[in-house]
This record gives sequence, structure tokens and C-alpha cells, in this order.
Amino acid sequence: MATPIYNNLYLFLFVGLFLLACGILGLLYRRTLIGMLISIELVMNGAGLNFVAFNRFASPDNAYGLAFTIFIMGIAAAEAAIALGIIILIFKRYRHIEGRDIKEMKD
Amino acid sequence: MSLPEIVFLLVMFVTMIGALITVLSGSIIYAMIGLVTTMFGIAGLYIYLNAPFIAMMQILIYVGAITILIAFAIMLSGPHYKRPKEWTTPVKFVVSLIVSLISFVVLFKVIMNAQWMQTKAKAFTITTENIGRVLFDKLMLPFELISLLIVVSIIGSIMLALIAKGEK
Repeated sequence: MATPIYNNLYLFLFVGLFLLACGILGLLYRRTLIGMLISIELVMNGAGLNFVAFNRFASPDNAYGLAFTIFIMGIAAAEAAIALGIIILIFKRYRHIEGRDIKEMKD
Repeated sequence: MSLPEIVFLLVMFVTMIGALITVLSGSIIYAMIGLVTTMFGIAGLYIYLNAPFIAMMQILIYVGAITILIAFAIMLSGPHYKRPKEWTTPVKFVVSLIVSLISFVVLFKVIMNAQWMQTKAKAFTITTENIGRVLFDKLMLPFELISLLIVVSIIGSIMLALIAKGEK
């Protein structure tokens, strides 16, 4: 019996690359800060998927890739918390959250 | 083609279509729903990679926590009719698309041309116990640094909320 298609490293790398490209696209053209934050989450998910895929196919004896995926999740959570706090402050000050018009953050 | 392969292809396409919805939808709420779809798809891919613990953490942290944070931020930042449309000028969209496609094509060629060190025909039997041992034996310092980072971010969020209320 042939190996099933999900035992193929390239498919997972392709999905991670697709997420990276989508994240770059959204980060560049979104107007609001929340849209940019969502795009950054996509990029971080692609990175985590690549870590797990390389751990599965390149070195199946240890669990370093899985541990670093958990670290990536923690970093993403901390980043989302701080970024959303800043976004709400920016909204209270400027009454909008468009990235283009925010030129100064402090008096 | 067997049933697991069909399900795998389905999960893969759900992930990619969710990413496209996340990026291309005009409303930010729909973008958030697309992000949830992508997260569930990636959890399915983790299960196909024999990492069910990571899949569970993905659903708990991303779908459960980060998406709810984003939903709070969307609802706290103004009514919907005042919010600007997400579509910017076509020139900006085309330029962003060109940059994204260039990075996609270059990295795709790199992936296809590289010689990845693959170990064939070996079962992947990493359990949650192995992850815990690696986390607390070998990667002790990064683990503590991550907890420090999260504490700092919690304190920072509280400080930002106090500034927003006017107390310093």
C-alpha cells in the first residue's frame, strides 16, 4: 500500500507558506489596526504549523518543535493582549482606528 | 483514495479558504470568523501530524482566547456604521498583492529546491509526557521567559486600562 498523502512534508509547508502570504497581504493593505493584528495571527499560525511539521518529519525522536509551538502560542497571546489594549486607547483618543492617520502617540 | 486522505484534503482546503476569507473580506467581523475557521483547520492538520495535544491547545488558546479578545476589541472600537470600509484604494491592493505573490513564489521555489532531511518510515510517537519533559528539563529557561513575558503583558494591559480611565 502506498504511503498516504498526509505523510508528505511539502503539503504542510505549502499550507504554512500560504498562510504567510495571506498574512503579508492583509498586513499591507488592511486599513484598521485590528485587521493588521488578525493578519499577524495568520503569520504566527503558519510558523507554528511549520515547526510541528518539521518535528514530525525531520526529527521524530524529540519534542522540541512541539514545545516551541506552545511558546509561539504564548507569544501570540501576550502580543494580542497588549495590542488590543493599545488599540482601545487609540480609539479613545482619535475616535477611529485607522493606521494611516495615527501620527503621534504621545503629547 | 481512502477516507482519511479525503478528510485531509478537505481540512487543508478549509484552512486555505478560511485564510482567504480572513484577508479578503470587507467586514472585520467576517475576517474574525475566517480566522476562527483557519484555526480549526490548523488544529485538524495538527491531528494529522500526530500532535493531538497541540491541536487541543490551538483550539483552547486561539479559538477560545485570542478570538474573544479580538471580538471585544472590535465591539469596543466604535459602532459599525462609523467604521471605515476595509477596502482601500485599488493601487494599494495591487501593490500588496504583488509583494505577497513575490514572497510566495520565492519561498515556494526555496521549499521545492531544498533537500530536507527526512527520516523515512519511522513512527512518530511523541506523547504529551515527552512534551512536558522537554519543557521542564531542557527548555526551562525559555519557559520561564515566556511566563515573564505574559506577566509583563498582563500588567501592561492593566496599566493601559487605567490610563484609559484617566487614573495614573
